[in-house]
Amino acid sequence: MRRVAVTGLGVVAPNGVGVPAFWRALRAGESGIGRIASFDAGGFEVQLAGEVEQQLSLEPEERELARGDRKVGFALAACREALAQAGVAALSPASLLHLGTSLEVFDLGNLVAHGRVDFPAAVRRALAPGGRALQHPLDAAVRRLVQVLGRPGRALTNCSACTAGAQAIGHAFREVRAGRCDLALCGGFDSMVNPLGVGGFQLLGALSTDNARGPTACRPFDAARRGTVLGEGAAAVVLEPLEHALARGMPVLGEVVGYGSTLDAHGLSAPDPQGAGAVRAMRAALDDAGVAPARICHANAHGTGTLLNDEIEARAIREVFAATWPQLPVSATKSTTGHLIGAAGAVEFAACLLALAAGEAPPNPSLDKVGAGCELCHVVGGPARLDGEFALTNSFGFGGQNAAIVLRRAHGG
Amino acid sequence: MAAPEVVVTGAGMVTPLGGTAAECVRAWRHGAAAERRALPELSATPLADRLVARPAAVDAAARLGGRRLLKYMSDAAVLGCVAAHEAMQGACVHGRIAPQRIGLFGATGLAAARIDEIAPLIEHSIDAQGELSLRLLGERGLAQTNPLLSFKILANIPACIVSILEDVRGPSYVFTPWEGQGGAAFLEAHEALASGEVDAALVGATDDATHAVTIACLAQRGVLGPDDVTAAGAAYLVLERRADAERAGAPLLARVRAMALRPVDVAGHDPLGARLGRTLAAAPAIAFALQALGAQVEVRVAGADRQEFTAELEVLA
Repeated sequence: MRRVAVTGLGVVAPNGVGVPAFWRALRAGESGIGRIASFDAGGFEVQLAGEVEQQLSLEPEERELARGDRKVGFALAACREALAQAGVAALSPASLLHLGTSLEVFDLGNLVAHGRVDFPAAVRRALAPGGRALQHPLDAAVRRLVQVLGRPGRALTNCSACTAGAQAIGHAFREVRAGRCDLALCGGFDSMVNPLGVGGFQLLGALSTDNARGPTACRPFDAARRGTVLGEGAAAVVLEPLEHALARGMPVLGEVVGYGSTLDAHGLSAPDPQGAGAVRAMRAALDDAGVAPARICHANAHGTGTLLNDEIEARAIREVFAATWPQLPVSATKSTTGHLIGAAGAVEFAACLLALAAGEAPPNPSLDKVGAGCELCHVVGGPARLDGEFALTNSFGFGGQNAAIVLRRAHGG
Repeated sequence: MAAPEVVVTGAGMVTPLGGTAAECVRAWRHGAAAERRALPELSATPLADRLVARPAAVDAAARLGGRRLLKYMSDAAVLGCVAAHEAMQGACVHGRIAPQRIGLFGATGLAAARIDEIAPLIEHSIDAQGELSLRLLGERGLAQTNPLLSFKILANIPACIVSILEDVRGPSYVFTPWEGQGGAAFLEAHEALASGEVDAALVGATDDATHAVTIACLAQRGVLGPDDVTAAGAAYLVLERRADAERAGAPLLARVRAMALRPVDVAGHDPLGARLGRTLAAAPAIAFALQALGAQVEVRVAGADRQEFTAELEVLA
């Protein structure tokens, strides 16, 4: 089987647009969380999110797509950055395109006319030339990329919510490794920072209403955690066989060496209380990589800041890394980005890759006092030095889907 | 090393032609076509002539053995869960294969925002100027909506509910929203079996393209031909390696001779569309299930994503 190299990386995150800005913010513990500015959330209990404020460089047609559905713009910008770094201008039939995301956007305002819900009028407006869409299908980003880059052998839109980005990268890794494709553009993109996204999760009680905390409201593993904070953004990755990358003289940013995926089969909004699905996902990724737990030098936790997830994930990490967890630096980057849902797994993959490359694990700046049951070797107070070769990143989804990826530092021998 | 033979050991279906796999196959063989009807919500719109085909009402509690999780389910999720349950029961998987060794590979269509569900949210959020106020939506509108709304519109939830009800704990993928994505689920299931990652794959899709907002979206996107009828339906199948299935005495319904997903120039080829209606993401699974159970139907479906899924099966049962 082939070794799989990362040769391109692109990131759009609330705390940094572009890989250098993102890494600078992560390393410094700078949060992108603040008051929601993209819509009037003044009447919502939840008023915080991690929003991307920077204007992105998009074509006019793409700006129009992004006006209806912000996440499409994030996907396109991240993919462009990754492709440029990898020196890839087009997708061929020997390539794979696989992006993950979560929730469709509905244009609620378009349904209103003359002070009431007027669906017939909304349909007439939508079908008129240039009419605004009532509903935005999740394949918009993949569709646009196929238009501008050409057709890959397969173009996939993964909708596995919080694990979608990790699944897309894990799947692409397997396809490149097995020789079923020669290049993959993969990752995740999302924004649930819209009235139905924020409102829907607020109704479920999943979000922090601790608005006064501002940038530190997302508090993975902290005793004072009160729920997660939604974020938005995207990360894209170019994968190819290591020998191809070396043959064409591309800098290798790191390698993907293992992937594991499991289902909890327990509940829709709460993880398996024993963390069994999470444990199996991590072990499956380690087995796939052929790497013993003791060789992992860094873990990026799913770490949402919800009461249940963090305690159960901490327990699962302690079980998998039974001998090494007291010394295993664990980052929780949602503390500075918020929870990017369908993009989370990809953005956190990027964080892990950058951490390995820099030899430094980013800190969790909102962790003041470790919550009961959340004991791990948390990175606090500044970046932690990393001396090993392999890292692991976790993604655990709403609905019970779990994924873990093992990465290797570039030129690791 | 040659890839292992893969067989179908269970199939479940709910379509406008019938509430079970057997009913669907019987109706297809008899040349039946789905009953179609107009949607009142579309009557005063340019889409007034659009017709939809829905399955007869499904008693989900009876079919699934209880009401567990029903409150979280969209209409599409109900269809998917019923079809998956029929497939798992037929294959006698429970107790034969460990849950950790069963994978779930699914697809779902566009989220269905029902006007009757979202209208109260909006009506309570209209300000004095007659416009939607997001501030009022937060203050008043949200309280008028189903607190479980997110579960009904998140695209992965139908598959996740299947995993919970059927105790499937292996790897998973969920794709959306067009026909090619439904086909991709089959390729991943086949690959997981061939690589030995799973011992059984529950694979299929559910789609409900019969709601007014969905139809408006499809029309705007140009997905529908002039005479296309949209439909709701679901199919799930259990796939296993043949040697394992034979050893276990599992039902052998059909052998997978070949399957592929490739880019094509033409969108919208659906061999089921004229009689059953277009079920979009679910069409590949429904065609696959019909052929696996001996119905004369081509598994060649090309969708709005301009990818064509093809499969050839040899019926064994």
